[in-house]
Amino acid sequence: MPSVTRQWRSLAELARDPAFVARAAREFPTLAGSLNVPHDRRRVLKLMAAGLALAGLGGCDDGAPSGVLIPPVRSSRESVTRGSNLYATASVLCGYAAGVLVRHDAGRPIKVAGNPDHPASLGATDAIAQAEILGFYDPDRAAGLMRDGEPQDWQSLLTALAAQRASWTKTGGAGLRVLTGSVTSPTMARQFVALQQLYPEMRWHQWEPVSRDAVRAGAQLAFGRSLEIVPKLDVADVILALDSDLLDAAPGHVRLAHDFATRRNPTRGPMSRVYAVEPTPTLIGLAADHRFVAGPGDMHRTVVALRDALLHGAAPADGPPWVGEVVADLRAHRGRAFVHAGPQLPAETHALVHALNDVLGGRGTTYSLIDAVEVAPTNQAQSLHDLVADMQAGRVQSLVIIDSNPAFTAPGSLGFADALRRVPFSLALTVESNETSQRTRWSLPQAHPYEAWSDARAFDGTATILQPQAQPLYDGVAPHHLLALLAAPQAAAALDLVRQTWQPTFTGNADRQWHDALAGGIVPNTAAPPTDAKLLPAAGQATPPPPADNPVTLLFRPDPHLWDGRFANNAWLQELPRPLTKLTWDNPLLISPQQAHAMDVRNGDRVELRVGDTTLTVPAWIMPGQASDCAVVSFGFGRTVVGTVGQHTGWNVYPLTGRSEPPALRKGQGREELACAEHHNPIFSHDEDFARHGTLAAFTADPHFLADHKPTPALYRTKPPGPAEWGMSIDQNACIGCNACVVACMSENNIPVVGKQAVIREREMHWLRIDRYYEGDIADPTTLFQPVLCMHCEQAPCEIVCPVGATVHDSEGLNVMVYNRCVGTRFCSNNCPYKVRRFNYYEFAAQEHRPAAARNPDVTVRARGVMEKCTFCLQRIAAARIAADMENRPIGGNEVRTACQNACPTQAFTFGNMAQPDAEVLNRKRSPLTYALLSDQNTQPRVTYEAKITNPNKAIGREGA
Amino acid sequence: MSDIPIPSALDPVILPGSNNQDLTDHVCGIPLRHQAFFWWWIAITPFALLTAVLVGSILYLFYAGVGIWGIGWPVVWGFAIINYVWWIAIASGGTFISALFYLTRSDWRSSINRIAESMTLFGAACAGIYPILHLGRPWFFYWLFPYPGTMHTWPQFRSPLLWDFFAILTYVTASALFWYLGLLPDLATMRDHARTRAKRVFYGALAMGFRGSSSQWRHFQATYAVLAAIMAPLVCSVHSIVGLDFAGAATVGWNSTQFPPFFIFGAFLSGFAAVLILVIPLRRLLRLERYITGRHIDVLCRLMLTSSLFVGYAYIMDAFQAFYGDDHAERVEFIEKVSGYYAGLYWATIIFNVSLPQLLWFCAVRMRQIAVLLISFGIIIGMWCERFTIVVVSLHRSQLPSSWGVFHATIWDWLTMAGTVGLFFTGILIVVRLIPIISMFEMRELVAPRRIFKAGSP
Repeated sequence: MPSVTRQWRSLAELARDPAFVARAAREFPTLAGSLNVPHDRRRVLKLMAAGLALAGLGGCDDGAPSGVLIPPVRSSRESVTRGSNLYATASVLCGYAAGVLVRHDAGRPIKVAGNPDHPASLGATDAIAQAEILGFYDPDRAAGLMRDGEPQDWQSLLTALAAQRASWTKTGGAGLRVLTGSVTSPTMARQFVALQQLYPEMRWHQWEPVSRDAVRAGAQLAFGRSLEIVPKLDVADVILALDSDLLDAAPGHVRLAHDFATRRNPTRGPMSRVYAVEPTPTLIGLAADHRFVAGPGDMHRTVVALRDALLHGAAPADGPPWVGEVVADLRAHRGRAFVHAGPQLPAETHALVHALNDVLGGRGTTYSLIDAVEVAPTNQAQSLHDLVADMQAGRVQSLVIIDSNPAFTAPGSLGFADALRRVPFSLALTVESNETSQRTRWSLPQAHPYEAWSDARAFDGTATILQPQAQPLYDGVAPHHLLALLAAPQAAAALDLVRQTWQPTFTGNADRQWHDALAGGIVPNTAAPPTDAKLLPAAGQATPPPPADNPVTLLFRPDPHLWDGRFANNAWLQELPRPLTKLTWDNPLLISPQQAHAMDVRNGDRVELRVGDTTLTVPAWIMPGQASDCAVVSFGFGRTVVGTVGQHTGWNVYPLTGRSEPPALRKGQGREELACAEHHNPIFSHDEDFARHGTLAAFTADPHFLADHKPTPALYRTKPPGPAEWGMSIDQNACIGCNACVVACMSENNIPVVGKQAVIREREMHWLRIDRYYEGDIADPTTLFQPVLCMHCEQAPCEIVCPVGATVHDSEGLNVMVYNRCVGTRFCSNNCPYKVRRFNYYEFAAQEHRPAAARNPDVTVRARGVMEKCTFCLQRIAAARIAADMENRPIGGNEVRTACQNACPTQAFTFGNMAQPDAEVLNRKRSPLTYALLSDQNTQPRVTYEAKITNPNKAIGREGA
Repeated sequence: MSDIPIPSALDPVILPGSNNQDLTDHVCGIPLRHQAFFWWWIAITPFALLTAVLVGSILYLFYAGVGIWGIGWPVVWGFAIINYVWWIAIASGGTFISALFYLTRSDWRSSINRIAESMTLFGAACAGIYPILHLGRPWFFYWLFPYPGTMHTWPQFRSPLLWDFFAILTYVTASALFWYLGLLPDLATMRDHARTRAKRVFYGALAMGFRGSSSQWRHFQATYAVLAAIMAPLVCSVHSIVGLDFAGAATVGWNSTQFPPFFIFGAFLSGFAAVLILVIPLRRLLRLERYITGRHIDVLCRLMLTSSLFVGYAYIMDAFQAFYGDDHAERVEFIEKVSGYYAGLYWATIIFNVSLPQLLWFCAVRMRQIAVLLISFGIIIGMWCERFTIVVVSLHRSQLPSSWGVFHATIWDWLTMAGTVGLFFTGILIVVRLIPIISMFEMRELVAPRRIFKAGSP
């Protein structure tokens, strides 16, 4: 680990210090001689342990010249491994924080889990937060301070900044611009206020490529001020989601998914009903009871019809046929209904949705309004536009870019990169070197969020203090420290700045409160109170602009995993199959089945996408359930200045953004090979019941209508003889397909990434996959998600075919894999009906692009030629067993939580010791919806599923159900 | 010997006018020639090169791992298993001729039994290396062996792969023994005919002191008969167990009770075809028309046709079971097999293994050697396609549609396979050069029978 070697290396440098050697020579002539010969590790170890100990430095050694430390084979008796520690911090995306706990083993951060006390997490995380640990260890991170591509020392930057400060002071900061992303950090807010006082002419610009401008503008239109909405989906009986990102990416989406899922299983309470209207599938749309496919035109008509019907009491004239029924349902649930619009919809629609919610009376119950959590909410597209205009006009003398990559993400029409050349002093602070830091005069490595002090707010305003999880691996600078440097040469460290921010809040025993805030991961009582802002009458009159009448509308979406491209060098996220397409490593153009048919395009065929004078040739991928006149591209791919992982992945679609010309599609030449983790055409299961599902009406008539009826005959014992009995239940009603569990599993179990070519050759290693089934019409199918992991069958077919007994049953019902014994016949995989076993065709673990220190020390790293599969997080079971044994008690029913279970925002997974009556999993397995996957195989799996129930509106019928 | 008779189905097993002296001189003359035949050098060069390719691809395989092959997920078994089953089936046909027809005292067997047994030996060698190459960690192959270790770990006796390991080990050992034992009297003859001291020592050492005393003959006959009696059921058991490698699994397309006999039928079919492929050219090149006559070709063709009908029956039952059994996954797999991505291979199997061999109903076809050769080659290809269908097509359509996938072979799959073909023919050619290719001591009994012998009787 570089941080450690750096520390030790400084001792070595001391040992090479001439003064020290001279002093040592006087005292210990032989030692000095040894220090001068090239480092022979063994000799130096011996001599320095003796010599440096005498010199008062302790028995320290830098290891080999390469900086490798060799841990002791036998630890000394005093050293005690105390298991893991958890430290709270937060995962921040676009400013919004979701609390996490980082698990440390032997001093190294190893695994991310959600913070149960944090309102945006409740113990869960999304896929991106899970993968952040890999980004922290990324060997490609920016390692040093550069000026014009030349390494510089810190002092030279301080000198340059001193000159800048002098000129800013003179001009009042007239030419100074700072560009950041969205910010919720109170410390940064305070710093900007201070900077603004110091340099009144300075301007602060904000830019997030995944725009929420319409959301901000909508609130402004509706209330005349910046507000944010905090949905409470657990109390909403009827939800209408208009192209909504509630479960995908909205601030607090992890928490929202949790709340959403609490109302989706009829065995645990009354079900909500969800309508979704959207041009391309979103996670809430896939989970909805009625999903209506609507292109821009249909969406416009729908919104207008909703307005007319709900606000003005008029009969919906031009709207789709189902609007009347939806309106009736919303009205019938006044006070318990909630309408949500996605950030892609125009501001007027957002204003109207505020008005609709007001009429439906859910304020205070199904949602609340709070003052904006963001600091200085602004129209970011305008903000960036102004900045570029000023840069081109030469009005920008100094540009400081903090954790933003506008050279890559700025709309193609804007020409940010060209304008940047006109800025005399430009500085980029970035975690990884990227397109922007390569173009700025100065590039400064930013401390990873796990290395720096900061703070941030959650979607409901709750503040978290972000504490560093490790010493900086590279010489990273905290953003707060850089901002402070802009003001004064003697800048405070980030820790002091954050403490100063919270000083007024902590009254009384400030140290105690500070400590508690760090340990708990939240600053108590910081959630924003609901505002009493009144809806402006104009909100209800707003009319969204009619969409342009284009044959094809191009929609830009963030990649669900790479987001805007900032995670492009994260191999876990690259190889994470996208929820619907199951694609990895690429971002093809998603086209509707109708469009594909009209263009005679199959999956992977190249199409030419032309917007104005920009043409992009990308492969196409057919997306069932997408509006026929819409094509979707996702951000995040096609990075040019990026580490080894992100190179040559996908296509950069930013050049197409920010253009008003109608897009044109044309079939191109040839095909592109795409790495899809689903190695055949989309599944349309008509006559099989792999993922069982039914309607609420059928459930009410007979709750057991989907359960297995036949008791399965068994020749052998089925109850494990051991003290515990492990089992899992997966609730398909809860699974929204978000993939958090898959990354959590990779992170916990050292699952290697194999790369695009290996995925094409069907060698991906995910122990847990989320199967996606389509049913019905390809234009508007029903979609079902089914997480599949090792079922730990009581009658496991894999066990009897292994010739060497490398996969065996343990006394607690687990099907365990003995890696050391495996010779790699792969017969177990053939005989597994669920195909959950993965084989190390190559030395995948050794080829991984991450340091060994990043791995979970509790989990074996598998060698070439060995089969592997889900273990139910055996290492966690073992830890619990040790704890229980020490206290001389059985393992509790809910004591062990698997990594997938822990990460799942919707608690789709329940795991536990079924030998204990208090186990939640027993409750879940008693659900009438419980069934075993492929129950006719009589494998008696320990994983069972709860069938998916939908709650369609009878008045609407089959359409969209 | 110069007249080359046109083969006829009515030929006796040895053309009239043969005598023991000619037979011994002619057969011994082949390996004892000072210079190898010119054609021999031409023949062995490409096969020796292919054997070198085999060695190279095995070395690279051990260096890089089984990832160099086209296997992935869910098709985790590929060419290694396909070729293993293919070769072991080819090998089995030889044992069938040499052992079973020995027990039935079929007179025609004597002329071709050496060729058949040598084919078994090298077929089994080619087959035998694949299970080890197939392993993810081949250096631990011995873990399948129940040896007493300090860890007290034993193999898992319920696994068909373990049965297979034992079956193959037994079969290879027994085949080699049977082949070698049957060689002893002829090696002694070679020793006695060799002109140089080196050759006399070489063959003398191999003959292990066989001098042809009556007690040696008595022991020899008894041992040979016992081994033959072991080998005949062994060839059925080894192939049943190869069938159980598949049938013993719960995998779609494999879990079928007819697999053990089905695999034996296939073994016979490919075994007879392979014997014909060797016999027809060797008969011509080594001027053995006098001892390997139209009758041999005729009887092998008839056996091939019979096995083809058996195999055809198995294909029909395979289709029947797919629809008779109430298993959706089996039906999906079968429909995919006959109409999906790999359908061409299925229909090639049917054409080569069942349709084309029906031509053998006609005597004129059976006596046309080039036609018989083509049909035999067709069967060898057809049997390979059948193995591909069984292994890959079954695996690529498993129970859950989410885990469906396809398999494409890589260059290393093909090179390894071509390498074993090279190994097989190199071995046969070396055998031709080193040992008598016709069992002389058995032939002598036919030439100068000690019992009543009626030429032309079946």
